[in-house]
Amino acid sequence: MSQVSDSLGRSQIASDVITVQHLVKRYGGFVAVNDISFSIRKGEIFGIIGPNGAGKTTTVECISGLRVPDSGSISIFGLSPQKDRNEIRKSVGVQLQESALPPRIKVGEAVDLFASFYSNPLDPDDLLESLGIKKIKNTFFKKLSGGQKQRVSIALALVGNPKLAILDELTTGLDPEARRETWDLIEGIRERGVTVILVTHFMDEAERLCDRLAFINHGLLRALDTPEAIAAQAGVNRVRLVPSQPVDDKTLYAIPGVSKVERKGRYVTVTGTGDLAASVINSLAKIGVNVSDIEAKTGNLDDAFVKLTKEGASGVSGGVEP
Amino acid sequence: MTSVTSETKNNNPRGHFSELLKVEGKLALREPYGVFGVFFPVALLVLFGYISGQVPGKVANTGLTVLDLYIPTIMVIGFISIAITSLPNILVRDREIGWLRRVSTTPVPPSRLLGAQLILNLVFALAMVLIVIFGGEIIFGAPLNVGIPFFVLSIILSIAEIFSLGLVIAAIAPSQTVASALSGLLFFLLLFLSGLWVQPAQVGGPLQTVMYYSPSGAATRALLYSVFNAAPPYTTLVTMVAYTVIFAVIAIRYFRWE
Repeated sequence: MSQVSDSLGRSQIASDVITVQHLVKRYGGFVAVNDISFSIRKGEIFGIIGPNGAGKTTTVECISGLRVPDSGSISIFGLSPQKDRNEIRKSVGVQLQESALPPRIKVGEAVDLFASFYSNPLDPDDLLESLGIKKIKNTFFKKLSGGQKQRVSIALALVGNPKLAILDELTTGLDPEARRETWDLIEGIRERGVTVILVTHFMDEAERLCDRLAFINHGLLRALDTPEAIAAQAGVNRVRLVPSQPVDDKTLYAIPGVSKVERKGRYVTVTGTGDLAASVINSLAKIGVNVSDIEAKTGNLDDAFVKLTKEGASGVSGGVEP
Repeated sequence: MTSVTSETKNNNPRGHFSELLKVEGKLALREPYGVFGVFFPVALLVLFGYISGQVPGKVANTGLTVLDLYIPTIMVIGFISIAITSLPNILVRDREIGWLRRVSTTPVPPSRLLGAQLILNLVFALAMVLIVIFGGEIIFGAPLNVGIPFFVLSIILSIAEIFSLGLVIAAIAPSQTVASALSGLLFFLLLFLSGLWVQPAQVGGPLQTVMYYSPSGAATRALLYSVFNAAPPYTTLVTMVAYTVIFAVIAIRYFRWE
């Protein structure tokens, strides 16, 4: 198998800087990652999404060299995370899920310390400035807010001037404002020319930031495409409206494409496929019902996420080999 | 553009280790545990120096004053405070919060962090030894006659033995809570065996034998001979070497980085 992936690795498209081929990782009898393959292009923000326990973190831990895959091959800038561990660590910055700093280390000390680990680091002061945390340079880590801690974590991942940054569950536990600020920072990382792997279970985050997404569930790669294409796959549209007179469910379900009807106060929400808004309005007009307050939404990544997750659940043994 | 200043700062390949020592040193001084290993023996020295002044004369049939008898015990208690209380707690915490793992994603292996911790704690231990010896002699007038070769040998073996035991705790404790519980229990047991409450010379019988062949009791005994320029008993030195080997093997076998 390794020979096959080696030859594939060599024939990779020039712009692919990371290739993962047939990655498998087991913990005892549990298959956490089951034959996953994908490539990441230079300078893109590549999202890895999926429900909790899907195998996202295991995948990036194999890429960053923290875990050794059971089979398959990984190439990062032409290097192997296992064989060329030391070289890879110089060019890959990692932000780990649930990894804290000693409580009484000062922010500036931590960033200076990490800068000393690399041969060509960024200037710590400039970095803190650009992340908006220069004013907390002399604050103990334990005194920081959740958002500030995440910024410090990003600073540690970037101070070595990496070519690839791996960010795992970056915004979990942050308030909405801090999350949006963190998103701006990630876009700033891309502007530096750094390739980013972003692990998340927030669909709005993936939709907003990622150029392409890998959707993983039960250790299997379920989808690999742009956020728009994955959202479109779900093919779900939703129309919310207020009818001028009561309309019963039976009438609504009779309209072509409608699969679900929900009511809340005077609002009626229909879910379905096709050109839903037009067909609902037309059908209701034919029976003399006018509609107002129309709000139509095309399928988003959330819908796709639910759909893909349910598909995974139908094959319950998906992640575990028989 | 941003790397110009930092390049000049970081072109020393050993730069990261001195930076690690510097940061770990600052952290140790900020930790509640950090200076306990130096502070506690100094407090005991003052206490026993005072007692010795109040109760002059020799203890039992040892021919030694209270302070003479206690100086080796105080040094061993210093090693216990540093290696059993402070070191494993900090190492296990750093592992538990993911700091060791975080460092392991950089070009610097986490073993350097462990190395920096060990060096720092050794420095604390040696500083404590010097304070206790010179403080005991100069401030409280203990009539010591330190035999340098015996003393150096006894100090090295005591540190090797007690630090390895501390690393056993760091290796087997899955969390800081367990590490504190284990080190708390061992702390008082080792304090007792080192003779803090009652000296082996005063108890006699089987308890004396148990104390002499315990990790902290053997260290105390070796140091007691050494500070009066006598060769520690052969069996005591062998006991310390045996404990060091056993503890080191267990610590290396079970140590985990995550």
